[in-house]
Amino acid sequence: MASVILKGIPVSAGVSIGKAFFLNRSGQGPIPRQTLAPEAVGPELVRLEGAFGLFREELTQVRDRIPAELREHAHIIDSHLMILDDPKLQGVAGGYIRDLGINAEWALDKAVADLQRAFESLDNPYFRDRIQDVRMVSDRVQARLAGQTGDIKAVQNRVVLMADDLSPADTAAIEVDKIMSLVTAQGGKTSHTGILARTLGIPAVIGVDNLEEHVRDGNLVVVDGLRGAVLVDPGEDELAKYTDLKYQFEAYHASIMRGCHLPGETIDGYRVKVKANIELLEEVATVIDNGGEGIGLYRTEYSYMNRRVLPTEEELTEEYLDLASIMAPKRVTLRTLDAGADKFISLLGNPEERNPALGLRAIRLCMHHKDLFMTQLRAILRASAVGNVSVMFPMISGLREIRQAMSMLRAAQSELKQQGLPFDAEMPIGIMMELPSAVMIAEVLAREVDFFSIGTNDLIQYSLGIDRTNRYVSHMYQPLHPAVVRSIKHVVDAAHQAGIEVSLCGEMASDPFCVPILMGMQIDAISLNPQAIPGIKRIIRQATMDDCKNLLKEVLESTTVARTNRLVQETIFKKFPDELMFYSSLLDQEEGLAP
Amino acid sequence: MTVSVLNEQGLHARPAAILAREAQRFPCEVRIVQNGDDVDAKSILDILTLAAGYGANLDIVANGPRADEAVAHLVRLFQKRFR
Repeated sequence: MASVILKGIPVSAGVSIGKAFFLNRSGQGPIPRQTLAPEAVGPELVRLEGAFGLFREELTQVRDRIPAELREHAHIIDSHLMILDDPKLQGVAGGYIRDLGINAEWALDKAVADLQRAFESLDNPYFRDRIQDVRMVSDRVQARLAGQTGDIKAVQNRVVLMADDLSPADTAAIEVDKIMSLVTAQGGKTSHTGILARTLGIPAVIGVDNLEEHVRDGNLVVVDGLRGAVLVDPGEDELAKYTDLKYQFEAYHASIMRGCHLPGETIDGYRVKVKANIELLEEVATVIDNGGEGIGLYRTEYSYMNRRVLPTEEELTEEYLDLASIMAPKRVTLRTLDAGADKFISLLGNPEERNPALGLRAIRLCMHHKDLFMTQLRAILRASAVGNVSVMFPMISGLREIRQAMSMLRAAQSELKQQGLPFDAEMPIGIMMELPSAVMIAEVLAREVDFFSIGTNDLIQYSLGIDRTNRYVSHMYQPLHPAVVRSIKHVVDAAHQAGIEVSLCGEMASDPFCVPILMGMQIDAISLNPQAIPGIKRIIRQATMDDCKNLLKEVLESTTVARTNRLVQETIFKKFPDELMFYSSLLDQEEGLAP
Repeated sequence: MTVSVLNEQGLHARPAAILAREAQRFPCEVRIVQNGDDVDAKSILDILTLAAGYGANLDIVANGPRADEAVAHLVRLFQKRFR
């Protein structure tokens, strides 16, 4: 086979070269159909039972191997076990073999088709979608019938593990010491595959189209978790290039990891806290391993998405308490629900909006659904009793919203007090600075709150009027546009004049070309994706405040983005020649400077 | 015996699995009836196709050995929200 390059989304950095192994191949080939001679019916029933038994045994082992802290996922496996043993599946399939004299694959397919009809007629989407569980179980039984076990236990040496998608059950079943990297065809932003890979420190690429079609078990593959590519049967030149890249990355990674638990401090003693942005509890392990000095942004949306019922106060309290107590004494900053626009919660209905980015989102949505907001505020307060917790409100445009949110928070506090439930009355309260209006009146807002957190992704979008996902204008999304740089500087200065802390939690915080400029402004903290922490810390630790301030001065004098970008790239490259080959930068979009 | 679904998310996969598993422990036949739909309580798939939401009223009917005991046991599960 000729060399094929498949593109995907890199979700865990690194390079690996090895043999592919496909887990749970969907077996979506045509179902073989045969009519049986009468004497073949008995043995066919035994074959059906054998395939069910094989999968039952594997699933039971998987369930028993799940560690206590992941019990949450075990009930999915219990449901699958119940479906596997359901009379409507194996029983009906067996009946078809006996009565119609057809082979096991065909009989099972017919039983699933019967169930499909029953589920399709349901109005409630949750129950209708349960046919997916039936399909998942029957696909695995079909694979056993076809003799493809797809079982990782059969693997002797380390492999590149591939799958259409990895469920929590699959990830629990994986013997991690046999996996050198992960590749999946499916995958969204909160994919478990990415989290697992980052926790294990192995490369991963997700969202690879036509994966199953292009890769056979045993193919030699290169997984490029730096740029998001999978090379199948690479040529000698490519193999040499990637072997070299892998070696360099591993050496670089080992060296940044050695220093990642040291504080973020410049050579001349200026200290900037380096914290993590996360959205799932499971990510905490990576934060701690990578030297995160707290959680600067916990996105709370995940618990509200893909649900049939809104989360209860108890459920949220438990989630926030777990997070706060694992991180304690380090600070955890919970951002209240930032839904709406692109993060859509089906349970809250579908308001018709011509311009959702300027519509009912974030704090506005919460003030529109006060019960929901109250539930979340109570849960956050209850978590503050145990850990070092702070709260921040997103999309604040002016004083009125701060005061409304504060009065809700005070109401929640007095309710809890009456009920005798503990909370920290001194919990710091902050706001996201991400609207140009808030930037303009930063001095006024700084008197009302305990801290600012600058959300640069939205600040850039709203300041420049650019939707980054719109390919016609995305090249004009420019983090170092003079207006953006001055806005950030203005917010930092206003915070410091008022004596409050200011941090920054957009993508600029993980961009080695932007961080020195932010440091020149004397930002107190930056918060970034956990995997980027060691590299950024190392840049901070090799910088001096004098250099950062000089760079900032030049940047502030520059009047065009092109000049600023050139200036920054030249300066940073000169300063950190060895640090930058594994980075892609927000600035590359314009100048094409990617390695 | 009539019971109401007290789980906020309805009789979703987790309670349905528990209900079917517990029903399977009894030798008698157990049926769940909702608005004339009559399904096998020992089948998680049957239970799911009831699509019983929060507050739905269901009848539990059992026939055969230990029938009364089975009904009483399953009613308790509903009352305890399958916890």
